[in-house]
Amino acid sequence: MKRLLQIMMIAIAAFVVAPAAKAHNEGAEPNGAVGSTDPVATLNEQSVEEEAEAGELNPKEIIFEHLLDHYGWEVPFSHSLRIPLPIIVFDNDHRIHCFSSGRLDHEGETYTSGDATFEIAGEDSPYKGKVVQILPDGSVYKPFDISITKNVLALFITVILVMWAVCGVARWHKTQGHKAPRGITGVMETIITFVYDGVIKPTLKESTHKFAPYLLTVFFFILFMNLLGLIVVFPGGANLTGNIAVTLVLSICTFLATNLFGTKHYWKEIFWPDVPLWLKFPIPIMPVIEIFGALTKPAALTVRLFANMIGGHMIVIVLTLLIFIFAFMGPAVTGATTVVSILFSIFMLLIDVLVSFIQAYVFTMLSTIFIAFAQEKGEEHHKKEGDNHNEAATPTPAK
Amino acid sequence: MELFKPDTGLIFWMFVAFAILFFCLWKWAWPVVIKGVESRADLIDKGVEYAQSAKAQLDNARAESDRQIAEARRQQAEILREADKMKTQIIDEAREAARVEARKVMDAAKQSIDQERKQAEESLRKEMGAMALAVADKVVRRQMADDAAQQRLVETLINEMDSKN
Repeated sequence: MKRLLQIMMIAIAAFVVAPAAKAHNEGAEPNGAVGSTDPVATLNEQSVEEEAEAGELNPKEIIFEHLLDHYGWEVPFSHSLRIPLPIIVFDNDHRIHCFSSGRLDHEGETYTSGDATFEIAGEDSPYKGKVVQILPDGSVYKPFDISITKNVLALFITVILVMWAVCGVARWHKTQGHKAPRGITGVMETIITFVYDGVIKPTLKESTHKFAPYLLTVFFFILFMNLLGLIVVFPGGANLTGNIAVTLVLSICTFLATNLFGTKHYWKEIFWPDVPLWLKFPIPIMPVIEIFGALTKPAALTVRLFANMIGGHMIVIVLTLLIFIFAFMGPAVTGATTVVSILFSIFMLLIDVLVSFIQAYVFTMLSTIFIAFAQEKGEEHHKKEGDNHNEAATPTPAK
Repeated sequence: MELFKPDTGLIFWMFVAFAILFFCLWKWAWPVVIKGVESRADLIDKGVEYAQSAKAQLDNARAESDRQIAEARRQQAEILREADKMKTQIIDEAREAARVEARKVMDAAKQSIDQERKQAEESLRKEMGAMALAVADKVVRRQMADDAAQQRLVETLINEMDSKN
């Protein structure tokens, strides 16, 4: 029954998508551009109006459009309709301007608020896609922009969801005592125990209670962002963890937690490690290396999560776009590509669900290990050096 | 590349949102949750331990009771056997006593019977003697009344004496 349903869905998708894609490309054929040369290269040269008129397919554009942030939130199945979100900018006189993104929905549209005029920067601008202020002399000023964009709204939704889920667990513990958890609480508790008992407690030992709240918050925050990013329509669809700003902030938090609470021993290891004197005295080789090490950790965290998530999203989009890229090659090829692409997309989305968990887990685990390194006590280290070497060897990063 | 340029607005909001989330959860949620989860784990561990020890105790108690029941059975059998033995012994003793008593009684009875018989014989003999004397007296008296008969008797008696000699 299940299998039958799957096959039916794929067949329906193939029939619906293939003709649409064909129509999409038929419109483009008069231009004579698609079949002859590399579509991406050609399309980039075309003017904006030509592209709009032809309904042209530009894979690169589409991919980045899906991966990047926007001022509005797309409505499913409609490319032009967007849910307007508030734009908040500080102009060149540090005055705040707040207006709906609906006012700048169309290309080239400008909005005047007070005496400041804003527009969304076009293709050729260095601030492409962002709100810019047009000064009276015609020059472009990039205002300080704290708009509630799609990503910011998704962020808020994630915060609310995480709070709801975690506070639900807390409420359960307050009202139900030690009863077996059910429903969402049960799911949450399974994951909490998995992370808390599996990673945080064995790694941090006596400083567990100091850092567990931070690490668990990070874990659920990333997990919820990852999973929300996989949902295609409204509450999801924002590529949050695939945005370097988000991962950067998270790893800065871990960096702060690592270094602000670092023990004396940790700082001694950085500035005066146990190495021959010539390695640290006239030229501080080891301290420099150690400091770089400390700075590389958050950088690695940032890029790892960002790259993993964006990679997953990109593959799904590319697989879907394959249908449209192959659309001009006749119904047989298109149909086949459609089926294969959809199957692969489903497969990739399932993998992405797994990756969502793994990446949240890995980020938490690495943060835990970094913090645990900074929590090492010197005396203890010397006392049972053999033990510590073993411990350091076991929790190696998985990815 | 736009992808690698962190957006200041998003960084700002991310800091704000994450700070709020972390503060709220750190203040109100995680301590409760962690304490709850740990104490429940403790409770479950203790419960399992308790159940195991209770089971062990129960097993012990059961084995003990089995042992006691077996012991009781054994004792019961022993007591029964003992009682049986005692019963036979008592019966034997009683029988023996009864036999002795009976013999005594019988002996006494025999003695008294003998005595009685002897007395009876004695009195009978006496009576018979008296009766014989009386009869003899009567006979003698009648026979002596007739000389011829006396003659015959003397002759008979002499004959008898002769034949005896």
